Amino acid sequence: MRQNHSIHLFPPGKQILTIILFCLLPGLFAGKAFAGRPDAITQQAPVSGKIIDGETGRPLPDVNILVKGTTAGVKSNAEGIFSLTVSSPDVVLVFSYIGYQQQEIKVGPRRELNIRMTRAVSELDEVVAVGYGQQKKRDITGAISSINAKTIENTPVKDLMSAMQGRVAGVQVVSNSGAPGDGISITVRGQSSLNSGNDPLYVIDGVPVESGSVSQLNGFESHGLNPLADINPGDIESIEVLKDAASTSIYGSRAANGVILITTRHGKVGKGKVNVKFYTGISKIGRQLDVLNASEWRDIIIDSYKNLDDYNGATSPSEPHWTAIDSLNPMNNGDVDWQSLMYRTAKQNQLDVSVSGGNNAARYALSTSLLDQDGIFLASNYKRITTRINTDFDVTQRMKAGINLSFTHGANNRINAAGTGNHSLVQSILVRPPIYSLTYPDGSPINYFNGKRNPIGLAEDVTHLNITNRIIGNQFLEYKIMEGLKFRTNISLDYLSMKEDEFYPSTVDYRPGYNTGSVRAIGNLTWANENYLTYNKTINKVHELSALAGFSQQEWKRETTGLDGIYFASDNIQTLNGAGTISNQAVNTTVEHGLVSYFGRMTYGFDGKYLFQANFRADGSSRFGDENRFGYFPSASAAWRFSDESFMKGFDFLNDGKLRFSYGQTGNEAIGNYTAQGEFAIGTNYLTNSGASPVVMPNKKLTWETSTQYDLGIDLVLFNNRINFTADAYVKNTSDLLFAVPIPETSGFNYITRNIGDIRNKGFEFSLNTKNFIREFKWNTNFNIGLNRNKIVSLPEEVLTNGFIQNGTYHILQVGQPIGAFYGYKFLGVYSRDEDNKNQVKNGSSNGKLFRGGDPIWHDLNGDNIIDPRDKQIIGNAQPKFTGGLTNNFTYKSFSLGVFFQFSYGNDIYSNLNMMRNWVFAYNNVSRDALNRWRKQGDVTNYPRPIRNDPMGNEYNRVSDRWVEDGSYLRLKNVNIAYNFPRAIINRLNINALRLYASGENLLTWTNYTGYDPDVSSYSGLRIGVDDGSYPQSRTFILGLNVEF
Amino acid sequence: MKLQYIKAIGLIGMSFMMFSCTKKVLEKSPVSSFSAQDFYKTPSDAQAGVYGIYDAAQSVFRMNFAYWGEGRADNVKTAQSGEGLVLMQNNLNETASSANWAALYSMISRANFAVKYIPGVYGNEGGGAQLIGQARALRALAYFYLVRIWGDVPLITEPYTSTEQDIFVTKTKKELVLDQIEEDLKFAAANCVAKFNNSNDRIMFTSGGANALLTHVYMWRKKYSEALATSELVLNNSLYGLVSSMDDWSKIFTTSYSKESIFEVGYNDTETNSLRVLYAIGSYAIYTPSEKFKSSYEAGDKRISYLYDTTLVEPKAIWKFLGKGVSDEVSTPSKQNIVLLRLADIMLLRAEALNAIGGADNISKALELLNKIRKRAGVPEFASDTEAIEKYGDLESAILHERSVELAFEGHRWFDLVRTGKAISTMGPINGLSDERNLVWPIFIDVLNKNPNMVQNEYYR
Repeated sequence: MRQNHSIHLFPPGKQILTIILFCLLPGLFAGKAFAGRPDAITQQAPVSGKIIDGETGRPLPDVNILVKGTTAGVKSNAEGIFSLTVSSPDVVLVFSYIGYQQQEIKVGPRRELNIRMTRAVSELDEVVAVGYGQQKKRDITGAISSINAKTIENTPVKDLMSAMQGRVAGVQVVSNSGAPGDGISITVRGQSSLNSGNDPLYVIDGVPVESGSVSQLNGFESHGLNPLADINPGDIESIEVLKDAASTSIYGSRAANGVILITTRHGKVGKGKVNVKFYTGISKIGRQLDVLNASEWRDIIIDSYKNLDDYNGATSPSEPHWTAIDSLNPMNNGDVDWQSLMYRTAKQNQLDVSVSGGNNAARYALSTSLLDQDGIFLASNYKRITTRINTDFDVTQRMKAGINLSFTHGANNRINAAGTGNHSLVQSILVRPPIYSLTYPDGSPINYFNGKRNPIGLAEDVTHLNITNRIIGNQFLEYKIMEGLKFRTNISLDYLSMKEDEFYPSTVDYRPGYNTGSVRAIGNLTWANENYLTYNKTINKVHELSALAGFSQQEWKRETTGLDGIYFASDNIQTLNGAGTISNQAVNTTVEHGLVSYFGRMTYGFDGKYLFQANFRADGSSRFGDENRFGYFPSASAAWRFSDESFMKGFDFLNDGKLRFSYGQTGNEAIGNYTAQGEFAIGTNYLTNSGASPVVMPNKKLTWETSTQYDLGIDLVLFNNRINFTADAYVKNTSDLLFAVPIPETSGFNYITRNIGDIRNKGFEFSLNTKNFIREFKWNTNFNIGLNRNKIVSLPEEVLTNGFIQNGTYHILQVGQPIGAFYGYKFLGVYSRDEDNKNQVKNGSSNGKLFRGGDPIWHDLNGDNIIDPRDKQIIGNAQPKFTGGLTNNFTYKSFSLGVFFQFSYGNDIYSNLNMMRNWVFAYNNVSRDALNRWRKQGDVTNYPRPIRNDPMGNEYNRVSDRWVEDGSYLRLKNVNIAYNFPRAIINRLNINALRLYASGENLLTWTNYTGYDPDVSSYSGLRIGVDDGSYPQSRTFILGLNVEF
Repeated sequence: MKLQYIKAIGLIGMSFMMFSCTKKVLEKSPVSSFSAQDFYKTPSDAQAGVYGIYDAAQSVFRMNFAYWGEGRADNVKTAQSGEGLVLMQNNLNETASSANWAALYSMISRANFAVKYIPGVYGNEGGGAQLIGQARALRALAYFYLVRIWGDVPLITEPYTSTEQDIFVTKTKKELVLDQIEEDLKFAAANCVAKFNNSNDRIMFTSGGANALLTHVYMWRKKYSEALATSELVLNNSLYGLVSSMDDWSKIFTTSYSKESIFEVGYNDTETNSLRVLYAIGSYAIYTPSEKFKSSYEAGDKRISYLYDTTLVEPKAIWKFLGKGVSDEVSTPSKQNIVLLRLADIMLLRAEALNAIGGADNISKALELLNKIRKRAGVPEFASDTEAIEKYGDLESAILHERSVELAFEGHRWFDLVRTGKAISTMGPINGLSDERNLVWPIFIDVLNKNPNMVQNEYYR
């Protein structure tokens, strides 16, 4: 049945070696070439000595001792002893060791050097990436959070977005589903836009990358793929999340939702290193949901007919559908636990091989990664191969150049899991009647029966394959014009090509010979050119000045080509040449978008005590009309290191204290590429005659959505650097919201995009790092929490209907409410008896039917004794009150243990899946709650009577708080136990490091949510907090090995 | 100057050359579509714009031609819940899907663009008049359905091209809308081509099509002498003729493009409609013939065996559009054209007009037209009007009955009942219809929600 698309990423034995060799060879070769240039030694003299910890006096092994200006060097042994020969007394030796301050010592006449290393002052001297450059953490004046490679390394994750979950205060990460390679929504400091543009900007090594889903064939799923799944997390050196406007405004128009800077590993001066990492693991579904068994299900179906007769006042009972009651019929005599049939224990493997090293002239880092991950659903699988080459060259003393290049090939054999359509699997499994047999009496599978597709057929016979090829490249040239003044130019490219095949064979359709197939090829090209000058100058050792000025251009182009066909001659020929009828031939489109920007930054620091920064960016976008094409985004920030003030001298426990304030503006241009110009679409054909018609009404006045953000923060380092504390308070006001406002259809249009209204996000973020124990037994704790409050401040009267904007099926947008407010009927219980409907409440209209015993008591909000849309109200809020994470890392000798908790509190989930799971009318199987259903007059329960055909609209399509649940959870996200092999063994094996670890993900979840998983949002963007039955999250166990040569 | 500066200037200069292309980066016109200002520039744009209106018409009539024209009348019944049941039981409210006029206004909007911008394409030469004629005929068609379904409706004849325009429109008196419809159709009759000389004669508006629709409009307004004039033009049009055999009669609907057809909305394999869902899908078909219809036809009527399976007490499907004996298991979307205007329809309207004006001469002409249709169907011709009066009470009723059988399920019945003032007397006993104000549909809830100036029709307030 299936097309033979599978690619073999893990070929047997020999080929693996070939692959490893293939990626090792260039590295080894390069290592040799770069390590060349032996230094001429004229006057050889031996030098030796011992290196100890300045505080404890203990000897320090593995300290790097390097002859300055060369790559020649040695390491201290286990007793801290070292020896080497130097060429002259003028030679300077550089002593470096992780966590200690680097020392440079001129050898002079001495032959013995005893060195006391002092611990590095703090992490404040680390540099972090900022827009178009780097800054010392010490000098940062904005709100920036970092995740370093170590964090990612300790918790193996399949993609970098999930690496961020629970790690950064104020960053909310929600999975759209648990399927391999599926999308994840990241929100920095709350939703600030009414349109879909709530994603942060991602910049990888200076390349602004495509982060929206480009998938065109999402089938019946409501969400797409995660394009950042193309990045191998193992390549990441650090992730910086820029949160406040002072940090982000240098990225101007795309920065309103924060900027995420990703820096990949680059080679460092030193001996070449080879790293091999391998892990293997299994995943299982976290929990199964309860459903009725065969006899319970038959009972409820019979009930539903009985209740219909009762509703109609029928004198003779109507015949229940034969499927319900005939337990002898071979089609219906099953009692199948569909969940156990469909979910499996899935395996995954990942192999990473990387090589890095270099000298002063050239540094390199190469890596290859292979991932093969099965989904916990039958027949779902994701394979990914990534390669990366990062190089840096010192071309001349003044000129540097380099290339970062990565290539990814991904093959995602998806299944249609989400959504409430008849094609979606999660739902199919849960609602499929348990009585349905697996096979016909003759043994052939029952694929389509009684309006329900067989989930096994849907998983195994349906093809849903995405093949992705992606190149992200960046070349830079940096020229030092004079001391302190540099010019840099970057050319970067992000090419994402995706081919998607979808095929629904006739075996899953009720129409004989009816099969459908689709193919899409998408090419998504982004190129950018950035040119900027930087200037750094220190005057009189206390005045630190820097300036940046530049301009950039960026263009996007997306081409989509595709065909849809029906009536294929055979289910085995799934390419579109086999289609009997091409049902859609109009899929060949190109869209383009361009951005031109001018930007600048100035910083001034006085003695590290008073720090100032100002940014400016002007962005011009092709999406806006001439009049409003350019948007201007300024920002300013200041910081005061009060711990350096003389009046703080007495407070010895305070190692560092800094107060920050920033203000700035950022923008959002997330509208259609041609929305402002208006659009006539072609393809509105009349038979074979090509037609065109207006689809977008022009709005030349459209302009940038602007966010103005204030941030007040404090950074404290206390008690000998044992405690690091950061707190931020912020207010982000977004105005001129871009929104597709519904307009009367008498205009011929459904929507017009306009600038409307204001949204405010405000909140607090705290993060606390403590080193609880620092001796042989080490214990570090990292806690972060973000509290964001989102509120719609204003919406113009004319865009409101009944005081709000309906936003999809479940949400509304209303002044005073947050984005993500659910709107529907309030369920107050179930009428116990007919007489309990004292007010004679009717359904729908004044001549509607009376609610009777067993019917839900809907809250009659306006008291008119009629339940109609005027009784709808706010019934929930998908915004969490706070989210965060808690990590504890323990180290004792060679063992380490990491325990990571992650939580979200106060968010509601609208479980559309639960609605489907209690919709008896459709012959669905239902949750076990239905056993408590109302059965006869006088029953007191909160589960209404099921009625065939659902004439009162009790079950289906009534958005109500029956399906709103508390989505708060606390999750033991990851536990990681590792053993670093001791030096003695490593030396014997002639390797640098060896680490064995075991890791478990999603181990425990404390929640009241009754669905598969509370970490869920079926829709990305605005319509948050809806569970449509996404692919469930899995519990994963991993065993891994890291070796460094 | 130091070498490094020269190098630097060279480097910077090179990269700043990129400045010159910023205009290219920032000015992006749609590649695979037209920007609003770039369309309606060439004759092919004008033609494409008019096809776009037909495309909208395909959406308008796909399903609703039956809901509007049959759903509330006496020829069909439904075993389904949903829209069919709501209409049959006369239980309409603001959430009824057939109460949504969005698709009709989309058709009107496209026509408004065409009418406004096509003259500019051809300059002063007056070219494109036949395209404008088609656009105005289509606009009239949409408004004619609007006034018949909702009564007073917003009358919009200008396209929306700017946010400055008033989008929160109010209703216009239906007589003014009908005036506009007449004006549009007169223009169309004068400017549309007489014929295309290909199958487009049936699926696009010709001068004859405009006259046929105008006849309908005049009959709706009881302007009988005007209806006589326009129907005469249609009857004399060599493009149209009655098919003779019953097999050919069936093919009017099943294979489309017959010589009897005046205007039908075209569909094909990929641009499909809901005829099968409406009339012929297994046990799920929305409509089957009503008991009243099954007992209304005269003995020997050859049409009935093409309408449904007369051997069954309870026919499962209506065969008329998909063919006699159509398999009700196959559920492929249907591609048969939906015939909106055909010669038999106009002949019977003309007969009505002649009868309404009266006079022996007119009555005999009316009888003659009526008998042509009866003869073809194999039912006895009326030798005189007294025969018809004996059988049906009056000649108008006889003609209406003929329309009911001849045009069964084609989407005319409800409008015939309303037009002749027989809706309440006919439907009252069936579903309790009793209020004149109930003859129009309610205004759809979304329409009310989106437009604060829109007032619900009186009966539904």
